[in-house]
Amino acid sequence: MAQLLDFSINVLQMGLIFAIMVLGVYITYRILDFPDLSVDGSFVTGAAVASVLLLNGVNPFVACVAAFVAGLGAGFITGFLHVKLGITNLLSGILVMIGLYSINLRIMGKSNLPLFSNETIFSLDVHPLVVIAAFALVSKLLLDFLLSTKLGFLIIGTGDNPDMITSLGIDTGKMKILALMLSNGLVALAGSIMAQYQRFADVGMGTGIVVMGLASIIFGETLFRRVSIMLPTTMALLGSILYRFSIGAALNLGLSPTDLKLVTCVIIVFALSAGNAHRFTGVKRLLKGGLANASIK
Amino acid sequence: MLQLSNLYKTFNKGTVNEINLYRGLSLNVNNGDFITIIGGNGAGKSTLLNLISGKIDPDEGAILLNDSDITHMPEFRKSKLMARVFQDPSKGTCPSMTILENMSLAYNKGKAYGLSMGANKKQVSLFQELLSQIGIGLEDKLHTKVSLLSGGQRQALSLIMSTMTSPELLLLDEHTAALDPKTSEIIINLTEKIVTEKKITTMMVTHNMHHAIRMGNRLLMMQRGRIVVDVHGPEKQDLTQAKLLAMFEKAGCEDAVSDRMLLD
Amino acid sequence: MVKKLISIFCASILLSTSLLGGCSKAPDESANSENKTYNIGISQIVEHPALDDARKGIIDALKEEGFVEGENLEIDFQNAQGEMANAQTIADGFAAAKKDMIVAIATPSAQAAFNATKDIPVVFTAVTDPVSAGLVASLDKPGGNVTGSSDAAPMEKQFELIKALVPDVKKLGVIYNTSEANSVVQVDQAKAVAAKLGLEIVEVGITSVNDIDQALNSAIGNIDALYVPTDNTVVSSIPLVANKCIENKIPVISAEDGAVKGGALATEGINYYNLGLQTGKIAAQILKGEKPAAIPVGLLEDTTLVINETTAGKLGITIPEELKSRAEFVK
Repeated sequence: MAQLLDFSINVLQMGLIFAIMVLGVYITYRILDFPDLSVDGSFVTGAAVASVLLLNGVNPFVACVAAFVAGLGAGFITGFLHVKLGITNLLSGILVMIGLYSINLRIMGKSNLPLFSNETIFSLDVHPLVVIAAFALVSKLLLDFLLSTKLGFLIIGTGDNPDMITSLGIDTGKMKILALMLSNGLVALAGSIMAQYQRFADVGMGTGIVVMGLASIIFGETLFRRVSIMLPTTMALLGSILYRFSIGAALNLGLSPTDLKLVTCVIIVFALSAGNAHRFTGVKRLLKGGLANASIK
Repeated sequence: MLQLSNLYKTFNKGTVNEINLYRGLSLNVNNGDFITIIGGNGAGKSTLLNLISGKIDPDEGAILLNDSDITHMPEFRKSKLMARVFQDPSKGTCPSMTILENMSLAYNKGKAYGLSMGANKKQVSLFQELLSQIGIGLEDKLHTKVSLLSGGQRQALSLIMSTMTSPELLLLDEHTAALDPKTSEIIINLTEKIVTEKKITTMMVTHNMHHAIRMGNRLLMMQRGRIVVDVHGPEKQDLTQAKLLAMFEKAGCEDAVSDRMLLD
Repeated sequence: MVKKLISIFCASILLSTSLLGGCSKAPDESANSENKTYNIGISQIVEHPALDDARKGIIDALKEEGFVEGENLEIDFQNAQGEMANAQTIADGFAAAKKDMIVAIATPSAQAAFNATKDIPVVFTAVTDPVSAGLVASLDKPGGNVTGSSDAAPMEKQFELIKALVPDVKKLGVIYNTSEANSVVQVDQAKAVAAKLGLEIVEVGITSVNDIDQALNSAIGNIDALYVPTDNTVVSSIPLVANKCIENKIPVISAEDGAVKGGALATEGINYYNLGLQTGKIAAQILKGEKPAAIPVGLLEDTTLVINETTAGKLGITIPEELKSRAEFVK
């Protein structure tokens, strides 16, 4: 039983760390309808900035803030490339991701920085889950607040119907840049927390992040979209936790370890089709008909 | 209050499809004018509105609004001074937001969009009052997502939203063309009501001859980028469909009158 | 309403499967010490021939020492498929399941394991520089719960091999993936060794297999020979590297023998299976009761000279007698 608890806590911790990244991805992919591929890069940028600061004795919480600011910068560049230089959204993200690779290496000085003996946000006398949950919840609540303000409406509208926002006299280009900055800031923050959690930063730790983010969003939305009172940000958070659970499940089911990714996909497909259960009316009718026929003897 | 001076605009320059649309177009719009604009396809009616609103820039010439030159002002800045309703009902509102949220956005036009609450709860009674004018029950649906409304409902909402903050100029771009006849009448009546009450200078492009004749104090007919007919005052009030057709013939452009215009 | 129930039902199935799954590998505590079954977890960062060879070596060495899978040894092998977040999940899982030992193959997996537990012994392999990675205090006295074998290539021997086979060599290119920590360490090491032997190092950095062709194109005019360290990316494309170099008459020396089989000229180097055997012996020592803190990190002293005859022929290189006698030849 203790093992079960440990497992759940570990998955919950990873799920909540990545939930912050998922919130960031939600802003660009869902709200702004902008496929931002630079996320794999900015996740590492957050980790890199925070690690270097920690190795130089800076307060861990300040390091996290610095990571967030670095993410703002990355988002700004992507936005600038797209809005001011007219480069397509996909290409802008890719260019920044490529550029960040070199920048991250320069920031770190080498490709792997261990943090085993440094003070981190987890050096306080509280359980790491509390620290992580605090970061995740505060991020989510601040985002919820922002999206309910006039400025938030402008961001939502820019993704929903940019012509309408323009007709209000607002520069949608500025809104896009703002949203991209916020998104990458959150992703970088998640990266800085992850580096402190696993106690090392590695230039390759961003691999697969954008896929993780999208899968979590889709997971959360599909399962919970009929729960009308649930906010999309809550769905994204839960989606992240469920995604990490499914990875944990795949790893522990003792199946061939090389099939991890395939098994994860299968689990996700099952969960997604559960959300679309209304499509299986044919099967349902068949089952009902079969049972009904069986009882008439 | 709106002056178009000597506008030139060419599309697809240097290609086989080159179109020299405007060759020195000029127009003076007076304060309080309600102008209806008709013409065949390719006459340049919507393009005219696009030039005024800033969606496209003229090659040569000037556009002045209340004596200030807005010729090359970016679209979003021009939008502060004018309002526009499009033919596509889904273009005027944000589908994923509710009626209340959309109207709150429109209500705030011209003011700062900061970190105060987006949904304007204080103005709910004002919004309901405005919506009840239309008479289609939208005032009870403030918390419905706009994507769930019908085309006519969205268009009515767009009209209310665009005129909420009394713009200097209202541009209506065939805004009833995509609606069924009954809803089209509702929207046209609403248009007339709002424009008259708020005294908004309006330019309305339409394919509907009835509406063109009935509404407004001035009628323009365009053909191939030129204004070929411009009637106002008593002459406009006495217009009938027959008289209008005679004018077209005299101007030498029967072909500009399409079946659609006659049958609507 | 039905759909809501279905969603919630499926979510609970998912949750319970993963929770139950998380319990499945708990050790059998009721067994007495004579019939004790050892539960170990093997965490590997990615599929790769060298890493897979190391793993086989570990399992075989454990068998030799009396720990046989299926009899008194239960092995839980999990592969992170290249994602470091998964390496953490795997390590956390092993720690929660209170494994008797965690075997970690490659640096990120080892770091994740060290992060997950300070009690359970962690034995690593294929980690080039365990000190820089923060895993051990020093190679002689690891000092914690982590020890293992390093795949640091015996570079001095290899560079001497280059000089023996290509006597006029002055500029030595080193091709590596800039994001592999192990490779960067080797490049730095190469510079130090090269200086002693009077060679100049030309760095050829890439970020993925797609860069290799172009990087080689620009470097080839400037080098006399090419050195391939234990770099996962380069080694996975060794046929490409080898062919291009042979075309341009550039001899390729690699750090391990897999590359020579793939077309490189020669190596005086590590065999990952042997490295695994050495690691497995350390693992067995720990299972028998020794503490990791006192077991020094193993370096593979035993190198094998492997030469590719076909490549030597194509390059027109005559192999000195002294080398011919102790070499293993491949085609």
